[in-house]
Amino acid sequence: MSEILIKNGIVFDPLNGINGETLDIAVKNGKIVDLSQINPSTALVIDAKGKVVMPGGIDIHSHIAGAKVNIGRLMRPEDHYLTNKPHKLPIRRAETGLTVPNVFRIGYDYARMGYTLVVEPATPPIKTRHTHEELDDIPIIDKAAFLLVDSNWLALDLITMGSRELLASYLAWLLSTTKTYSLKLVDPGSDITWVLTGRGIDIDDQIPAYNITPRDIIREMGYAAQLLDLPHKLHIHCNRLGYPGNYLTTIKTMDITKDIPRLSDTPVLHVTHVQFTGYKGDCWSTLESGGEDIAKTLRANPHVTLDLGQVILGRPSTTMTADAPFEYVLYHLTRWKWVNADTEVESAAGIVPYAYKKRSYVNTIQWVIGLEIALLTSDPWRVIPTTDHPNAGPFKDYPVMFSWLISRRAREELMKEVNQRALRKAVLPALETEFTLYDLAIMTRAAPAKLLGLGKFKGHLGIGADADIAIYDLNPKEVDPSREYEKFVKSFKRAWLVIKGGEIVVKEGEIVKTVYGKTYYAEPEIPVELKKELEAFLAKKFKEYYSITKDSFIIREHELRNPVKIPLETRIKG
Amino acid sequence: MSKTELEKAKAFVLNTGRSLMQGISMEEESKWSKKYFDAVAVVEMNPIDISSLGVRDRVKVYNEHGSIVLRVKPSNNVPPGTIFIPMGPWANMLTDPETDGTGMPRLKGVNVFVEPTDEPLTKLIDLLKALGAKQLEVYMEDAPLKTGDKKVVENVVCPFCGDLCDHLTIEVDGNKVVRNIGGCAISSAKFLNYHRHRILRPYIREQGRLVEVDLDKAIDAAADILAESKYPLIFGLASTDVETNRYAVELAELTHGVVDNTSVFCHGPTALAVQEVGAVRYTFGVAVHLADLVIFWGCNPLEAHPNHVARVVMREGRFVRGRKERKIVVVDARRTPTANLADLFIQIEPGRDYELLTALRMAIRDLDIEAPTVAGVPRDKVVELAEMMRTTKYGVIFFGLGLTMTGAKYKNIVAAIKLVQELNEWTKFGILPMRGHYNVAGSNQVSLWTTGYPYAVDYARGFPRMIIGMTSATDLLSNGDVDAALIIASDPVAHLPRKAVEHLSKIPVIVIDAKWSLTTAFADVIIPGAYVGIECEGSAYRLDEVPIRLKKVVDPPPCILCDSEVLRKLVEKVKAKKGVSS
Repeated sequence: MSEILIKNGIVFDPLNGINGETLDIAVKNGKIVDLSQINPSTALVIDAKGKVVMPGGIDIHSHIAGAKVNIGRLMRPEDHYLTNKPHKLPIRRAETGLTVPNVFRIGYDYARMGYTLVVEPATPPIKTRHTHEELDDIPIIDKAAFLLVDSNWLALDLITMGSRELLASYLAWLLSTTKTYSLKLVDPGSDITWVLTGRGIDIDDQIPAYNITPRDIIREMGYAAQLLDLPHKLHIHCNRLGYPGNYLTTIKTMDITKDIPRLSDTPVLHVTHVQFTGYKGDCWSTLESGGEDIAKTLRANPHVTLDLGQVILGRPSTTMTADAPFEYVLYHLTRWKWVNADTEVESAAGIVPYAYKKRSYVNTIQWVIGLEIALLTSDPWRVIPTTDHPNAGPFKDYPVMFSWLISRRAREELMKEVNQRALRKAVLPALETEFTLYDLAIMTRAAPAKLLGLGKFKGHLGIGADADIAIYDLNPKEVDPSREYEKFVKSFKRAWLVIKGGEIVVKEGEIVKTVYGKTYYAEPEIPVELKKELEAFLAKKFKEYYSITKDSFIIREHELRNPVKIPLETRIKG
Repeated sequence: MSKTELEKAKAFVLNTGRSLMQGISMEEESKWSKKYFDAVAVVEMNPIDISSLGVRDRVKVYNEHGSIVLRVKPSNNVPPGTIFIPMGPWANMLTDPETDGTGMPRLKGVNVFVEPTDEPLTKLIDLLKALGAKQLEVYMEDAPLKTGDKKVVENVVCPFCGDLCDHLTIEVDGNKVVRNIGGCAISSAKFLNYHRHRILRPYIREQGRLVEVDLDKAIDAAADILAESKYPLIFGLASTDVETNRYAVELAELTHGVVDNTSVFCHGPTALAVQEVGAVRYTFGVAVHLADLVIFWGCNPLEAHPNHVARVVMREGRFVRGRKERKIVVVDARRTPTANLADLFIQIEPGRDYELLTALRMAIRDLDIEAPTVAGVPRDKVVELAEMMRTTKYGVIFFGLGLTMTGAKYKNIVAAIKLVQELNEWTKFGILPMRGHYNVAGSNQVSLWTTGYPYAVDYARGFPRMIIGMTSATDLLSNGDVDAALIIASDPVAHLPRKAVEHLSKIPVIVIDAKWSLTTAFADVIIPGAYVGIECEGSAYRLDEVPIRLKKVVDPPPCILCDSEVLRKLVEKVKAKKGVSS
């Protein structure tokens, strides 16, 4: 691997407090090194003068792999028809798809935008081998996956039994067995309710067959995550997602952090795609933004973080979620295609095609909510812009979404085309906040790296960091992105140069090399004293519940293309 | 044909399908054996038809596609006016290559004439000659067995059908499999005979004869064929692992060819229906714990997926306690062994499933059905079934090729899925295809994530396209569109209609397989592969799309590589020849 010297770039590296300084960066053996470590006469020199240099982008929540993504591809052939890009072998494989792209396009399009690490946020344990097989085939980017555990019968049994240490041990076993990174709750308790009764439930409703509520699940899982000391504690999609009035449930969910004893100083829970759970009003016609209330609650709960699930107006989407009961409801609104998949012991999933229309009252309110939350909280370390790809919009539109955050003018331009009745009910038109490029580097690099607990070697450009670097052809000294936002969008859609793991993979927005990244997974240690009890529990429950053997359930490290284990010391007591 | 002969001949409807003996005989003795002949070269007829035609022991069955003479087996399970021939090359002399733009040839509900005859029975060799086979020798060998270390391997996964049973205990002595505990009869036949009738060396056809060569030379010859081809077909892939499927897609991309898997003539129509309306799926465990109504529609798991009923229907679940709390309904054109398990058997006229499904959708909405019978089923029975469906707690449908191959083909599945989607207004309901080959579901999955389409993917323009009816294997072959074929772990000669098979005699063909399939008679290059799940590790997808890792139980025979390794080498070679090595 050759040495690279990036000269005179305008660097934004918030984890190291660098805000637009002109600096040189040296790369050797896939890492960022001190300038003295490379030989400037033989190193490949890249002149980044007048260009923005940032660490590779990190997407904390994007549905890029697994059973539901693939059945999304199956049910939406029309998504591929007009989106093809022929291969250029051996440099680049053929690409197709927008909302459910093939694996190659996923990797390439993220790389083109300068993103180098993406998390698949919902994989049911029994189908996680599939998730890994797809992740393995996504080129360039590094990956990780969050594991669905909210309707897991074994976990619910343990919560009901009150066995906190055993629950934590079971979750530790699940994470390391399925080679996943953190825990995900989706509409907690709703999937078991869905498979048993065909309905979803709210946070304080009783779960059928169990004497507990979603609140209990969130609290106990939250505590287990503390015991495990997971780098990213708990990733939660709130109950009642998609229903008017659900912002109250979201607020209640955020307030549960107060009931979870904190054993480490990282955030207690991360509320994902909060836009979908930020609805005020009691029906679709009276829908309003709950953005202000959520922003207020976030300020009152310092240990909560959010991502947006920002709606992209004028785009189709393929909604897909383990929130099966909500997709069933959405199917009744759209009346076109519907996929439901009930997965034994663990979860369910639903997939429904949708399209966000600028003229729609509801869609405009949805667009407003995400932006209001981001702008009102004005806390780039705690509010991450995502589109919950492909639910609220394709990740390909990230630069457009960023433009709404950094430029009031960009928002105003779009506001001319959206539903005016919806706008009249919103505070968004009055908001003046404009994030800076530094803020953007926080939201898309530094903060997600920290939230994932990978801040040591991801999300920054300090010595020892992985050499994942994005260079954009934008000179902030000459162009004010808040005024000339089109130029910003253009440069961020197609990075001028991207380095992944020390190799140049993108030049002037085009892929120049296909490489394959790593997959990170957590392996929390389980105390020896608990191992025997856990094994007995697992043996009994697998026999009772699953249609596959425990042996088949376990994913071995050699099955993954490029796994990286993150061992974790835990606080579980034997 | 003389006038008297015409009078004796009678029009029948031919159905084809799997039978237990067809599966066992091919795993035990290969398709070249007498046992396979006895199992497959046979026509099942109703005794009423046998006596009315005055049949002694054999009949001639013919239509515009072909003519064969078969032994007759009387069977009350076959309704009068129809005949059943197990899937295989005999049946395929008669099946219809027309896919009606669905990619699915007509393998069931085919119109044929049957007449008594004294002509000799049609032998395999006769068939292969008629199809234009390039050579008829097979060099079947048994892999050398050495007894020695005894071991017991637990939780072995069976690489036969889409049920992917993963609870087998396999006892091994050296490299000899001595016992299969937990597997069905076909599984036992497969494991205990894995070493028999193998392809143990690579071959190239030279001057009409197969010549043994070393592996590098065979791969080089195969790479030449693919690199020189303008439009090759890469086909099969349902009986091998995910890794091999990945390489197959890459190979199609590399050669601007087509990659298609065997779902094109099994559940391809199911995928087309999902493209149109979606799906309502569940995994086995959901059915075990929750299903109080199990419907088998146009499938016969007792013979095609022998452990399925025991695993899914009989097993005691958390909320439904086994068979006694479940109702079983079977809808089929013939009384299959599975039908004998049913609480309610509905015998439907072949090819008229769409009508019955539509009637059920009406009955569920309480709409009046005016006709006294629908698809041969009395109205009352339709209403009874509809009532059972909407009052169940969690209903599941497993359906087979009886629904995908006949009548309205993929529109049948659209109607079935719509029915299930509508039933979810009343209760919980799901529907799953009974996939045949153990990894045919995985072939679709790999194809989807790499190309966006489940099968029949064309790379002629450098990006993936699926134009069903054009880029599907049967159509490509019967229209003579492809100029080379790579067949991986599959036997199109035993499965495809005559017209499609005949094209294989005109183009260079590469076969990668563990056993001497009938397609080897059309091969120009034969490369042996090891068995995934017995000799190689690899992953596969169960019919409910649960991914499972298959184990390696014994070492492959000397110098034989796993399919994925063969394909990896082939991809590298083709890249080098095309000048696109990275």
